Amino acid sequence: MGSNLKVLIGDDSILARKQLGDFIKTVSPDTEIDEAADGEEAVKKYREFHPDITFLDIVMPKMDGISAVRQIMEYDEDADIVIVSSLGTQSQLKAAIEAGAEDFVQKPFSYDQIRRVIKNHLRED
Amino acid sequence: MYAQFFGSYLLGRDLITTDQLNKAISRLSDSRIRLGTLAMHEGLMTPAEVNEVCYMQTREDKRFGEIAVEREYLTQEQVDSLLKSQNPDFLLLGQNLVDLGAITNSQLEEYLRDYQDETGIDDMGSEDNSKTEKIVGAFFAGVRPIDRNIIMYVNLLFNDLVRFIGDDFTPMEPSVVKSVDCEFGITQKISGQARMSTGLIMEKETAVRFASRYAKMRFDEFDEYVMASAEDFLNLHNGLFCVNISNESSVELSLDPPVREEKSNITFSQSTYQIPIDYTFGKVTLLVSSEK
Repeated sequence: MGSNLKVLIGDDSILARKQLGDFIKTVSPDTEIDEAADGEEAVKKYREFHPDITFLDIVMPKMDGISAVRQIMEYDEDADIVIVSSLGTQSQLKAAIEAGAEDFVQKPFSYDQIRRVIKNHLRED
Repeated sequence: MYAQFFGSYLLGRDLITTDQLNKAISRLSDSRIRLGTLAMHEGLMTPAEVNEVCYMQTREDKRFGEIAVEREYLTQEQVDSLLKSQNPDFLLLGQNLVDLGAITNSQLEEYLRDYQDETGIDDMGSEDNSKTEKIVGAFFAGVRPIDRNIIMYVNLLFNDLVRFIGDDFTPMEPSVVKSVDCEFGITQKISGQARMSTGLIMEKETAVRFASRYAKMRFDEFDEYVMASAEDFLNLHNGLFCVNISNESSVELSLDPPVREEKSNITFSQSTYQIPIDYTFGKVTLLVSSEK
């Protein structure tokens, strides 16, 4: 599944970013990955990096993931954003979708879920 | 999860030592429940009959079930049924303690009966939330009356510890504290329609092992990844708790970002439950309080 995919991962956990990034690389080895440790940085990096897919956690310092989704969508209404969070309550799911997120993956995620997201994006291209 | 609480029950009453319990726990994954233990627990054989058949096995090259049927302690149908049954972990723990010589089969039967009487759980053959919440409620009996959110939180935490870290732990007696010293810890507030303060504290050496298990990676020193692993576990558990509460009672909760503590004294605005959890690799302490 090789392609020059660009992925941005926004999560305050260095471990979570590494685990997701490592897996994305096994699914799509040529993927270029950038990281952000909070919502503010995620918005800034989006504008600089122009990723194809953005994975965002919800609970982050400075700016939470849902707020980051809104700001990114204001900048780019075609942004492909996937929320990856343990906080998969009905209200968070609704807020994420209303903010513009394409999908919501509940942690702990399975690798099949992430593989599906990547495959779906590549299929659309 | 019955094994963990049963072990705590035996330890709390000085019926076994910590060393015996740790040895029995560490053998859980390598052990297999024996037919005699199952038969005894089902009330189909007495401890004396089990001992007799075990003795005969040393003299005859026959399986336990064969000898038990020959001596008419069991029918073949009962043997077949027992062999197909699930292997409850608390029985396996008890069997391991018998094998270690810590207790006898008779004592195992007696202690299990007393434990069932104390917790009010008649059937420990299967675990479900209502039963494990009863056990957690009984676990806090010596402290003070607590609200259901705390019981649900702790019940889920033990399940998540088994799921993500391992089942080789014993929950120790809870207490109430207003402050606690820690070498390393993570705290996180749950807010919304219910407000709770949560935390996990441990020694740095324990954190390295905790993190290795959680991340399924090998860590050799206390570093950023180790701290992130502990944070991730607490954040994940708290998120799952929020989802459960939302699904069960439509109460919406949110999480503040987790906060790290190193070599500090953590003080609480209200009395907080402290639950030491003894893993075979070290002690992890849970802190939880609920605002009224």
